[in-house]
Amino acid sequence: MYKYILAMALTLLPLSAVEVKEDIQVPYIPYEIKMGEHFDAVQAHCLTCHSFGYIINQGPQSKAFWAGKVKKMVVAFKAPISDEDSALVTEYLFKHYGNGKEK
Amino acid sequence: MQRRDFFKKSLVIAGAGAIGSSLEATSQPIRGQKISQVAFPQKRPMITYSDRPPLLESPRNVFAQAITPNDQFFVRWHMPEIPTHVDLKEYRLKVNGEVEKELSFTLDELKNEFEPVEVTAVLQCGGNGRSAYSPIAGGIQWGNGAVGNAKWKGARLRDVLERAGIKKDAAWIGFNGLDNAAYYETPNFVREMHIDELDDHVIVAYEMNGEELPYLNGYPVRLVIPGYYSDSWVKMLSNLTLTTSYQKLFFMDVAYRIPDNECECETPGDKHGETKPITTMNVKSMIGYPTNETKVYLNSHLTVRGVAFDQGKGIREVLVSTDNGKSWEQAILDDGKNGRYSFREFRYTFNPGKYGKQTIMTKAINKAGEEQPLAEEIQWNHGGYKYNGIDTVTIEVV
Repeated sequence: MYKYILAMALTLLPLSAVEVKEDIQVPYIPYEIKMGEHFDAVQAHCLTCHSFGYIINQGPQSKAFWAGKVKKMVVAFKAPISDEDSALVTEYLFKHYGNGKEK
Repeated sequence: MQRRDFFKKSLVIAGAGAIGSSLEATSQPIRGQKISQVAFPQKRPMITYSDRPPLLESPRNVFAQAITPNDQFFVRWHMPEIPTHVDLKEYRLKVNGEVEKELSFTLDELKNEFEPVEVTAVLQCGGNGRSAYSPIAGGIQWGNGAVGNAKWKGARLRDVLERAGIKKDAAWIGFNGLDNAAYYETPNFVREMHIDELDDHVIVAYEMNGEELPYLNGYPVRLVIPGYYSDSWVKMLSNLTLTTSYQKLFFMDVAYRIPDNECECETPGDKHGETKPITTMNVKSMIGYPTNETKVYLNSHLTVRGVAFDQGKGIREVLVSTDNGKSWEQAILDDGKNGRYSFREFRYTFNPGKYGKQTIMTKAINKAGEEQPLAEEIQWNHGGYKYNGIDTVTIEVV
């Protein structure tokens, strides 16, 4: 179950979320991410939990690394990403943030 | 944000020393990262890897002083939903599980009903300096600044637990904070500590450098475990739960682990199966001034300033080299009055005598004789943890 609707993650408004009264608002930072095939899957699944900064600051990685990261999101963090979408997200990540190596 | 260049210069190891098929080696962590133009609440602008969860790194010049200012102290959260307000009327620290009586405390009760104690201690992310590893280790590519030192004040964890009465068969203490995942099913960032590790330096801290904790550093209360990496210093602490047996937890069993062998190392092609938690910190020094952007005049008096620390065995000396490691001279250490868990400040003055690039290296040695290795001597681990290479800064003499 989504606790927060996806649409919220897709706007460019501050993602303040959760609690009551004002006090603290964590600013939104528009990390530049590369556009390309299957970006829609990345946008739909990844932003729910973390910024694009979290992706681009991992450094260029192998296909196995990115596949493992997506799997971790599903298995350890319980993100509801289908096998099909997992493959698309992995493909996108490896193409744009890969190091050219399978493993 | 500009795309960073992650392709680090790989040092070619000549001859038989090379590990596996890789000719890459550990080098200095990434340098020259941009400081964000956007400041986070209660913070000055910092190096910002992510806004959600917030991941903020201190710039190098912060480490010219022993105490890290609250508004420049690094930030690392795991879950996307951080409460944006903690109502102290509602806030309670709950103690439950294997206790005689389940209790909960308000912040005022923590302050007033327990003897306040102070400890100055270094808080460092286990992945600090991860960008030094090659091939690139998994995780945020931190530079040198996922570390800070503060004077913490709070109640002893032991006193709080004993108030509730620790049952005889209680063996583990679980810690949970107020941050939440985006999905209900996601495991919380819960940590565990064996009850034997509990000593009087472990505190439930409500004050940092004489002020309340900044929100992003865990307001109103966080756990302080001197000598240990920060993954166990749970922020916005809400629950202390005693159990008889170890609870299987993602953030204990999968994350923050290193190879369980003597060198704590492995290769990408041959990962070591057995792992262990990162636990205590190794010996390290960092140069706060000058930085890689500094220019000085020929023969000027240049005072190098920095900090050194370890897991609490105590720093014996800091050595400085201005000739690329051929010779080393002793830096002057501060009086150490902040205690063995604190940064020790050091300084060293010399006159750069040649035009052009001048490299400055620092090496800390602790009282157990453990010393910082050269970056390229540090062997790889898959999580990129525990980097503690000799710090190096290159300035320009004009």
